[in-house]
Amino acid sequence: MKMQIAINPRLRFRLSPFVWILLALMGIAFVVAMIRYIFGIGAISNLSYSYPWGFWISFDLFTGVAIGSGAFVMASIVYIFELKEFQPLLRPSVLTGFLGYIMVVIALLVDLGHPERIWYMMIHWNHTSVLLEIGICVMSYLTVLAIEFSPVFFEGIKWQKFARTIHKYIMPFVILGVVLSTLHQSSLGSLLLIQPAKLYPLWWTPILPVLFFISAISIGLAMIIFESSVSARYFHRGLEIHLLEKLARTIPFVLAIYLITRFTQLTLAGDLKYLFNSGLMSILFWTEIIVGSIIPLVLFSIKKIRQSPNGLLFSAIILLVGMILDRFDVSWFAVRHPDPLTYIPSLMAFNAHYIPSLPELSISIGIFSAGILAFGLVAKYLPLFENEEEHHAS
Amino acid sequence: MTKNVSRRDFLKLGGAAAGALALGEFIPPMVAQAARANGQLDASGSGYIPSMCEMCVWRCGLLAKIKDGRVVKLEGNPDHPHSKGKLCPRGQAGVMTTYDPDRVLTPLVRVGQRGEGKFRQTSWDEALDIVAKKMLDIKQKYGPEAMVFSSTHNLSQPLFENLLQAFGSPNYGTQRSLCFNAMTVANLMTFGVEEPERDYNQLKYLILTGRNLAEAISNSETGELVHAVDRGVKLVYLDPRFTKTAAKATEWLPIRPGTDLAFHLALLNVIIGENLYDQNFVSQYTVGFDEVAQSVHPYTPEWAAQLTDIPADTIRRIAHEFAAAAPYALAHNGWRTSNFVNSFQTERAITILNAITGNWGKALFPASGGEGAGLGAPPQPAYPRISALRLDGVPWKYPFVPLKYGVFQQMRDSILTEDPYAAHGWFISRQNPAMSIPDRKKTLQAFSKMDFIVTVDIIMNDTSWFSDVVLPEASYLERYDPLSLVGTPLSAVGTRAFLRQPVVEPQGEGKSALWIYKELGTRLGLGDYFQYKDDEDYLKQQLAPLGVSLDQVRKQGYVDLPAGSSDMYQWTTPSGKIELKSDALDKAGFDGVPKWEEPPAPKSGQYYLLTGKDARQTQFGTQNNQLLHKYDDEPGLWMNAKTAALQGLRNGDTVEVTSDVGQIHVKLQATQAIRPDCVYMTPGFGHLSMGLTTAYGLGESDSDLHVTYTDPISGGQALSQTFVTVKKA
Amino acid sequence: MTDIQNIQHKTFLFDATRCIDCRACMIACSVENNIPMDKTRIWVAGVGLKGEFPDLSRASMVYHCMHCEEPDCMSACPVGAYSKREDGPVLYNKDVCIGCRYCMNACPFGVPHFDYDKGLIDGAFIDKCTMCPQRIDNGLAPACVATCPTDALMFGERADLLKIAHERIAAHPDRYIDHVYGETENGGTSYLILSHVPFSELGLPNLGPKPVKDVSEAVMGLTIPFALTWGAVLTGVTVGVHMYNQKKEAAAKSTTDAKDSTEETK
Ligand SMILES: Nc1nc2c(c(=O)[nH]1)N[C@H]1C(S)=C(S)[C@@H](COP(=O)(O)OP(=O)(O)OC[C@H]3O[C@@H](n4cnc5c(=O)[nH]c(N)nc54)[C@H](O)[C@@H]3O)O[C@H]1N2
Ligand SMILES: Nc1nc2c(c(=O)[nH]1)N[C@H]1C(S)=C(S)[C@@H](COP(=O)(O)OP(=O)(O)OC[C@H]3O[C@@H](n4cnc5c(=O)[nH]c(N)nc54)[C@H](O)[C@@H]3O)O[C@H]1N2
Ligand code: SF4
Ligand code: SF4
Ligand code: SF4
Ligand code: SF4
Ligand code: SF4
Ligand SMILES: [Mo]
Repeated sequence: MKMQIAINPRLRFRLSPFVWILLALMGIAFVVAMIRYIFGIGAISNLSYSYPWGFWISFDLFTGVAIGSGAFVMASIVYIFELKEFQPLLRPSVLTGFLGYIMVVIALLVDLGHPERIWYMMIHWNHTSVLLEIGICVMSYLTVLAIEFSPVFFEGIKWQKFARTIHKYIMPFVILGVVLSTLHQSSLGSLLLIQPAKLYPLWWTPILPVLFFISAISIGLAMIIFESSVSARYFHRGLEIHLLEKLARTIPFVLAIYLITRFTQLTLAGDLKYLFNSGLMSILFWTEIIVGSIIPLVLFSIKKIRQSPNGLLFSAIILLVGMILDRFDVSWFAVRHPDPLTYIPSLMAFNAHYIPSLPELSISIGIFSAGILAFGLVAKYLPLFENEEEHHAS
Repeated sequence: MTKNVSRRDFLKLGGAAAGALALGEFIPPMVAQAARANGQLDASGSGYIPSMCEMCVWRCGLLAKIKDGRVVKLEGNPDHPHSKGKLCPRGQAGVMTTYDPDRVLTPLVRVGQRGEGKFRQTSWDEALDIVAKKMLDIKQKYGPEAMVFSSTHNLSQPLFENLLQAFGSPNYGTQRSLCFNAMTVANLMTFGVEEPERDYNQLKYLILTGRNLAEAISNSETGELVHAVDRGVKLVYLDPRFTKTAAKATEWLPIRPGTDLAFHLALLNVIIGENLYDQNFVSQYTVGFDEVAQSVHPYTPEWAAQLTDIPADTIRRIAHEFAAAAPYALAHNGWRTSNFVNSFQTERAITILNAITGNWGKALFPASGGEGAGLGAPPQPAYPRISALRLDGVPWKYPFVPLKYGVFQQMRDSILTEDPYAAHGWFISRQNPAMSIPDRKKTLQAFSKMDFIVTVDIIMNDTSWFSDVVLPEASYLERYDPLSLVGTPLSAVGTRAFLRQPVVEPQGEGKSALWIYKELGTRLGLGDYFQYKDDEDYLKQQLAPLGVSLDQVRKQGYVDLPAGSSDMYQWTTPSGKIELKSDALDKAGFDGVPKWEEPPAPKSGQYYLLTGKDARQTQFGTQNNQLLHKYDDEPGLWMNAKTAALQGLRNGDTVEVTSDVGQIHVKLQATQAIRPDCVYMTPGFGHLSMGLTTAYGLGESDSDLHVTYTDPISGGQALSQTFVTVKKA
Repeated sequence: MTDIQNIQHKTFLFDATRCIDCRACMIACSVENNIPMDKTRIWVAGVGLKGEFPDLSRASMVYHCMHCEEPDCMSACPVGAYSKREDGPVLYNKDVCIGCRYCMNACPFGVPHFDYDKGLIDGAFIDKCTMCPQRIDNGLAPACVATCPTDALMFGERADLLKIAHERIAAHPDRYIDHVYGETENGGTSYLILSHVPFSELGLPNLGPKPVKDVSEAVMGLTIPFALTWGAVLTGVTVGVHMYNQKKEAAAKSTTDAKDSTEETK
């Protein structure tokens, strides 16, 4: 029997101060982006010859893609494993993923030197390039997400027939989506494989893609919990607490696999020696391990915590913070950039240091704001949390 | 790097044609036409034309790559022994000197106050009329000697000298007393030549006394030095600074400034005392050995050690090594030897060291440049007799200084004191005395005493800035210069005279010196001294006796001169031998054999102020070149890091540097690369002219601090003899 | 693997003991290649001055693209903007570059530079040393090499220069570190370096004989097979789960068929 999900059919959405702030942040980002398009990336960011990638890549790409993993995790659960009880969590997760990936692409349109050529990835293929694989996967997956989400849209505009047709043929796309996700979630890790001389040995390993994939699953699960909890609070909806509890039960297993894989790798590679005497690197490593894996592993193992809304949200946040730190470490903090000692520094701009500039941050903040706003709008105007009666019996 | 070059500074080389070139469309492009006819440029106007570098006085041969009527690249001419296919940083950047956005491209007449930098553009006719009228006025009122002339070594110098001699002025200032008088006069007195040629090919041992060849670059010699080191030559390098030459040396000796004489006297002491010299050579080809032996007797390594801060053992060992390596051992004479008033005797000691170890004909050779005369010249009448004394005291105060060297800093001082008479006009060409003479304040005062100053230059240098008329010369890539034997050994190399020819049309109204001096001479009523139609005609008259056509020379870039025959063992000294002792010096009351002369030393709290070249700049004229600026280091005051720490000074601090005559505020560079009792500044920064948009505001000038000292024998200035205090500004 | 001792590639040889840090090479490059005033393809690297007065030494090198035998930049670029020419130079094609700057991350030498100061109108590109094809194709040495007053930079065939390099080491074992950097580093480079100080003091990374791109390329090679396998597995699981569920459902719901069919037609 279908459980009763508390629904507030007329979600509150109005031009509250919060919305105004979001709009303002988007406006700032827009202006900053225009400056970047006219005067160059250097005009708004602190990126340099030694830091070709910075905050945008770590946050918008690495973090953005990682937290979009909820979509494929949910899709697998609901469609592939046919655990239909999780259906109510599917749509918000797919939407989060869909919006997340759009945000990634928008950020890349700022970060790329030639955004107008982004589609060149479709026609000029260098098959050895991990970035090409990611590019193609992300773009294809975005399409798949659009298809997966489109029934919600068509239902929203009352084109039920369309919605149903799409639904009928959804399975191949779901499988494609999962394959694509597996590929690019792990390939984000592969992206750094080409930096064995730059990425600190505590992070660089040939199995980075495997680690990335496993951690992406944990992030996906945590994101579903996080996003359900938050939207339940914000939209005053009921919380599917028993579903979340079930999901949460799996997290310790995922994290355990992650930890075992990671430490086995470090041991086999003989990199244990770096664990404690690498200064800042040791601190970063242990922070991400403790915050991202060990603490959540413990918390999610405790039934009481899993059953409390606050406990769930809190544990999910902890996991996300730790795992996002991992993405930052791998793509930024633990990368030792080549600093060919040079005494023509001002000309070469070989900055040994990099701190993102405010305008740089404002781009990411603006895009993030847009994402939140978009989620709100969809939640208001489309049947995001509605019961899908017609599936119920299928 | 100095300051970040702003985007406004972009000047794309080889980019769109400059305004001046647009004008060129209406004038037949003569250079290109001729080069095409010669087969150097193809139908599209691209190709290579040989000429000569003028970024410094080494004058390497170059090949200019031409495209669309512009020079797009310079290559070293493989035929030229000074370039051997290579150009140094300054030579490479020469394109930017020609295309410097700050080039002066029309004659200028001052309209504002002197030094205010306000000029109006004018025609050559008007400018030359003004100059001629002023010069004639001065001549009429005060006599021709009231007009002083000065110019730094260059290929059109014979015509400059022609002008001043025809005009009738004895007053001639050159860079030489600022630069190498101590060295060349010492050589003249010992060997009868200014500078014997050095041969690195077989060298086994080399002592460089403050000759920073890795930074004060003489293209081919710099290369030879590095190759010699590569082969395993033992290089001993004396310099209070750890220069880039020091980095290549087998042994760097951070000698106390001014004590090189003591070091070399001690070497002589050991080599003579232990009979390590070449007795045959000495007895056959030299005079005065006994006096030298007697004179150096007291100068033991132990004695020298206290003065030089170099251990006695080291000195003794070097003497032994040097003698053992002889005759393939060389004590290099140095070049800018204007360090102390005892520098002349230092140079004498070095020449004597070379002579008694018998390296003549092995490491040292008679200068070949002086040979191979045989060039023609336009006919001209004799010069008027000149009775006035020279303001610079040559020869009445400085009997040993050749007339063509002069004592420039003394000339400046005599202008100020009006002793023995007042000067009223100053004609300056290819020179920047506002920066190059010590004590800049005094030089500017001397300018202010002038009724009239005219400068021939290519940019608005500091001297132009204070001038009444500025005459724009075409740059060295835009003009002919005479095939010149003046100032040997620098222009004719071996028995070949290389040609400077235009490789592109002059921009704006730039004209060659050949043209300028002829036009001015004619207006001064001295046309008979300039009997040539134009530049090419002058060259044709020069080539006439050789039976070689100008076209041919233009094509191959040089002309072979008949080899002069000379006996390598015949010296043009009074005795015909190498004069270890100079009777002439003796008679004039100086030391005929070198004796220790204690130079002044800084009081406690003071530092020796050192100067010395930077590989990216030449003297005081290239700092505006954006390409050189691009790759140069930031100028500042070097101070030993420990000394600085003791004084509580930190790298990057602005410090106040004070000498007896001036004070500047400059950025401190704390470094290990200098003796604790010395500070150092790169010369050539701190320009006054705001017409130099890249250079203005960069660094400070050490000329503001330098006190003027003159060595009474050679007339050389003493640049390391200024002492300064340094404190936080 | 290719035999990196005998590759026929045009190559540079740089000898740090000869370099006087005059920077003629840099100016020559700027002029030859029309490089803007605030950019450069070639620069000075190294610790510079070392030690305390009066025990001092100096080490610097001239740094530009190493023209790796197995270029990592080329492996990394998603759109294939890099190519290795048959005779050695690693070239960049700005017409396809999307400006992702992954090549800058990939290059272990920090060579490619990006136009951070250019907007969409000017077009922001990567720049790096090209080995001056416009010169070497006409029998000239690259501009930087041709002008070097001390022959610290030389240019020629890789095998010849390797021979010269080893001869120099053999002739002066006291002077040189007994290794030619670039002979094997990163799979071999077309920029060989002789030095009197440890190479790290010249700012050179410590790299093994395998190019840094190796692992990345190996993993990339697995992508398609993995994707196909994974797709098949997932399809299998999906079908399996579905069939299992249907069977279970069929068994459990045989009595409620009628209700289901009415709902179906709703
Ligand atoms: N790049 C470049 N090259 C040049 C020139 C240039 O302007 N730029 N100019 C050319 C000209 S005109 C000349 S004259 C030559 C000059 O070439 P050099 O003769 O090498 O002269 P500097 O570089 O002026 O000074 C050389 C060194 O003398 C040291 N020194 C100062 N006082 C003393 C002392 O008392 N004893 C000793 N042993 N050393 C002392 C300084 O620290 C400095 O490093 O260079 C020529 N080459
Ligand atoms: N403090 C300090 N003083 C020094 C020295 C030092 O090391 N430190 N060095 C001394 C030495 S060694 C010397 S040789 C002297 C040099 O002293 P100067 O000869 O006075 O100085 P330069 O900078 O060589 O002057 C060259 C001038 O010629 C101009 N010029 C360049 N090309 C052309 C051209 O084609 N035609 C014309 N007409 N003009 C041109 C330049 O713009 C510049 O103004 O300075 C001496 N003074
Ligand atoms: S040494 Fe350099 S600046 Fe002097 S002439 Fe030769 S290339 Fe030109
Ligand atoms: S040095 Fe860097 S840019 Fe040059 S070929 Fe190697 S990887 Fe590519
Ligand atoms: S910046 Fe351009 S050249 Fe470099 S990897 Fe990206 S697309 Fe390729
Ligand atoms: S080879 Fe050419 S492009 Fe490369 S650094 Fe040398 S001059 Fe510049
Ligand atoms: S030109 Fe030669 S000596 Fe000068 S910095 Fe370049 S490599 Fe070194
Ligand atoms: Mo000089």
